[in-house]
Amino acid sequence: MEFGPIWRAALRNKTGILLIVLQVAFTMAIVINSIAIAQERAKQMSRPSGVDEANTFSLNSSGFAADFNSRLTVEEDLRQLRGMPGVTSAVQINAIPLGGSGWSMGLKTKPGAEIESVPTAVYFVDEKGIDALGVKLIAGENFASSDIRWREPATRDWADKIIVTRALAIKLFPEEEGYGVGKVVYINDTEPMTIVGVIDRLQMPWSGWTEGVEQSMLVPEHLVGNSTAYMVRAETGRRDMLMPQVETLLAESEDGRIIRNLRTMEETRKRSYEGNQALINILTVTIAILIGITTLGVAGLTSFNVTRRTKQIGTRRALGASRKAILRYFLAENFLFTAIGVTLGAVLAVGLNMLLVDVFSIPRFSWYLLPLAMLTLVLIGQLAVLVPARRAATVPPAIATRTV
Amino acid sequence: MFKLLSYNLKLALRNIRRNPVLSALMIVAIGIGIGASMSMVTVNYRFSMNPVPQKSDVLHFVRLDSWSADFPFNDGKAPPNQMTYLDATALLREHRAFRQAMMSRSSLAVEPENREERPFFVNVRATTADFFPMFDVPFRYGSGWSATEDEAVQQVVVLGAETNERVFGGEDSVGRNIKLSGSNYRVVGVLEEWDPLPRFYEPTGGTGLVEDIFIPWQLVITKELPRTGNTNCWRPLQGDGFQAFLNSECIWIQFWAELRNENERAAYEDFLDAYVTGQKELGRFPRPLDNRATPLMQLLDELGMVPDEAQVLLGLSFMFLAVCLLNTIGLLLAKFLGKSTEIATRRALGASRRVLFQQYLVEAGLIGLGGGVLGLGFTWLGLKGIDAQFDDEAVSRYMTLDWNMALVAVVLAIVASLITAIYPTWRACNVQPAAWLKAN
Amino acid sequence: MLTMRNISKVYRTDTVQTNALRDFSLQIDEGDFVAVTGPSGSGKTTFLNIAGLLESFDGGVYELDGHSVSRLSDRELSKLRNEKIGFIFQSFNLIPDLNVFDNVDVPLRYRGFGAAERKRRIEEALARVGLSGRKEHLPAQLSGGQQQRVGIARALAGEPRFLLADEPTGNLDSQMAQGVLDLLEEINQSGTTIIMVTHDPELAKRAKREVAVRDGLLQETS
Repeated sequence: MEFGPIWRAALRNKTGILLIVLQVAFTMAIVINSIAIAQERAKQMSRPSGVDEANTFSLNSSGFAADFNSRLTVEEDLRQLRGMPGVTSAVQINAIPLGGSGWSMGLKTKPGAEIESVPTAVYFVDEKGIDALGVKLIAGENFASSDIRWREPATRDWADKIIVTRALAIKLFPEEEGYGVGKVVYINDTEPMTIVGVIDRLQMPWSGWTEGVEQSMLVPEHLVGNSTAYMVRAETGRRDMLMPQVETLLAESEDGRIIRNLRTMEETRKRSYEGNQALINILTVTIAILIGITTLGVAGLTSFNVTRRTKQIGTRRALGASRKAILRYFLAENFLFTAIGVTLGAVLAVGLNMLLVDVFSIPRFSWYLLPLAMLTLVLIGQLAVLVPARRAATVPPAIATRTV
Repeated sequence: MFKLLSYNLKLALRNIRRNPVLSALMIVAIGIGIGASMSMVTVNYRFSMNPVPQKSDVLHFVRLDSWSADFPFNDGKAPPNQMTYLDATALLREHRAFRQAMMSRSSLAVEPENREERPFFVNVRATTADFFPMFDVPFRYGSGWSATEDEAVQQVVVLGAETNERVFGGEDSVGRNIKLSGSNYRVVGVLEEWDPLPRFYEPTGGTGLVEDIFIPWQLVITKELPRTGNTNCWRPLQGDGFQAFLNSECIWIQFWAELRNENERAAYEDFLDAYVTGQKELGRFPRPLDNRATPLMQLLDELGMVPDEAQVLLGLSFMFLAVCLLNTIGLLLAKFLGKSTEIATRRALGASRRVLFQQYLVEAGLIGLGGGVLGLGFTWLGLKGIDAQFDDEAVSRYMTLDWNMALVAVVLAIVASLITAIYPTWRACNVQPAAWLKAN
Repeated sequence: MLTMRNISKVYRTDTVQTNALRDFSLQIDEGDFVAVTGPSGSGKTTFLNIAGLLESFDGGVYELDGHSVSRLSDRELSKLRNEKIGFIFQSFNLIPDLNVFDNVDVPLRYRGFGAAERKRRIEEALARVGLSGRKEHLPAQLSGGQQQRVGIARALAGEPRFLLADEPTGNLDSQMAQGVLDLLEEINQSGTTIIMVTHDPELAKRAKREVAVRDGLLQETS
């Protein structure tokens, strides 16, 4: 190809090259880093909560009347919910996974205030908890109904037994083969609790955690208190039908409380990751518009150049250039500029990424994005010049003998 | 002169219309670039606003380092962001600042008088009397309660505009009763729309909306109201029940003081240190002294109110704008350079460089101006678009274009169009800028 | 040998039909130097374009060096043009962004020669037109005469059988024009066939043979 003369000719209009090279380079730097951020957020969002999300929903019951009896209400609610046709299981719970608010405690493998603790989300459930959440017991055993007690507000002491997630078990007892079933951990510095079972996975209520988001434990207690939540797991396909039924049933069964926040787990997930999803959407739109503008810009630039060089193209045709050769000339010219652009862009992208990693702890982008983006931008550049270049190819050679 | 300008305007419009697609591309590119960067500038600006501009110097957030010796709060970088009940009530009792208020968040059910209507829950700010004058809270009817009412633990309430609208149809409800979670409260004041951005007084994270009901703080204790804010404990409770909780090292209360000058602030910090030293003798406060009364803006700065995402997007959006401008400059340059013959002809026909410069500047300027106007529209659209991504009402407040930002957008549009217009024009006419300036 | 038999060319617009060439026949032998004259609009440029394979024709037969050109594809026409014909244009048609060396290089690139071969040919051609010292100059840095010499070097570098010159001195003053003509004569003497289109009878006299075109018809004089 005739890169030599193209390059030497281009040097006659350095600003022109600089403008297009910078444009491609900036585009590349923005695109790569945007993709990197979006990828990381998407990865966060793809983490399973452990709950049977498709069939489960949750709601809040908030008592307000002076004579509201929370314990009786919970007992009655659970009896009704568990008896409803279509309900697989239901449980009173203090927090919803991914729900945004909850309770966390520190667990220690040795007693003592000076020992470092492992943070864990606390879910108070009864023996139906595992079933209602749809989590899988992978070691040990479930709570027995006799394990369950009622917890008054501001109670100091804790249950003797807990079930932990696999992630929490590994964090606490990295060496243990059986995930530490039967081991004792300490809460409130010194109070012992025995791990009786291990579940596969259950995320914390806070989706923003990147590390340790699966560090949760189940505690066999019912909470006494005016405001509480239920999670209801429906038989496959019956969730949407059940939800209004459950709402009406609970609302009508007790006057002194309000049923609020009736949500499917899918909705809870959506709310939890609203910010992530928004960021991904914004970045996607940005990338699309940016590439669109750059593509059209390159096409437009070539178009003006074709108009400007009509005579020159005719002369080349007269001197023996075929239509294909003219097409090739413009493709080669574009290739040269975009190639320089993406090369500079690669440097810029890495630089920008280093800055972002440094200042905002945004992840380093995967290496493969670099060649992929370079290749894509070069291809897009070639596509962009195709239309004006084809127009150039149709310039008749007889233009050459026309005197201006 | 005017004739020439209108002639140039006519030429410019003709030239723009000659390449309708590419002209549109140039205008849209500038518009989108400005729209993208201005929406991000707006978001960042909204997040870093001063919520109480008239008083931000004198408002101080009070923090005591009451945390664990083994595992300091925040790795010891700053004292805990809330206070224990013991300390907040003690500081309030001492009354050493010009004004001071303690506060926490709760939730109550509003039971409308009309039995047909279902009760609804509202977020409640439990606080003390100075809250209203200290934060310059605007009242439509009545006023806040007094310290006397605080002490007597009166069941009084200040309603936000929205709740007053919902319960009393927006009337002057001062003196009337409202039923909250089973007991009656007397309305003493109704607020105007009040929405400080950010909601600074509970700096524990989140973008939350301002609560719409305010009650005397002591009611949290007498009625054992639920806490819906953050509660954070480093030490197990020393007993069971509500009293054990109140006596614990759990932090859940925010404390603000109005200190009118540096002297007052220094004196107050001395007082805090003296208080904590006294507490150390009782076996509390195991950490070294770190007690602060931090001015509002310094606090917001320390907390970093602007989300990382917004800052990253701001940077990216400026690069985006750069791409758009490079794009349009490149296109204009290519277009103008293609006109060398026409320019030479016009020169030969007696057009001076200045006249030509004006002609092309008018053309480029029109494109820039079009882009700028479009950019304002895109800014609005961009903010709407971001807002639409969120169900959360609280987020919308940050996605609003105000007059300040509209002005900045106009300035940015003008600067961007000038940048875009001048270089290609100069190249097209190939005048030395110095000579051009001299000619003017 | 270049042979045209009964060539016709019609330009059509929506309203007008112009017969640019009618029943045009001409034979030009190897080594000839033919001047084609005629006033503006006579059809001589059309003749040049057809002869140079820049334009198609509507009827008749045109054989260039034994190839009938009417059914050739764009690629074949371009190749033929590149190999057999060298063009010299009235307004030189040098590419303003390329230096002298690269300008002469243009047709050689399309021929597909290797770098060394191209360099040899370019230097030879430039030496022949007396511009060896100006390889790095841009067209704008040369006088009109020099530019046309570059144009001639570009035409010669491919060692074509035919040189088609379109008013080669039209943009030059008389002294420069003389130099260019001398050069063309010299080239002709070394064996290259030259077809020169001009409206200037004085210039035409320098050719070995002169044909005139009037209203698309050929009138042989000489």
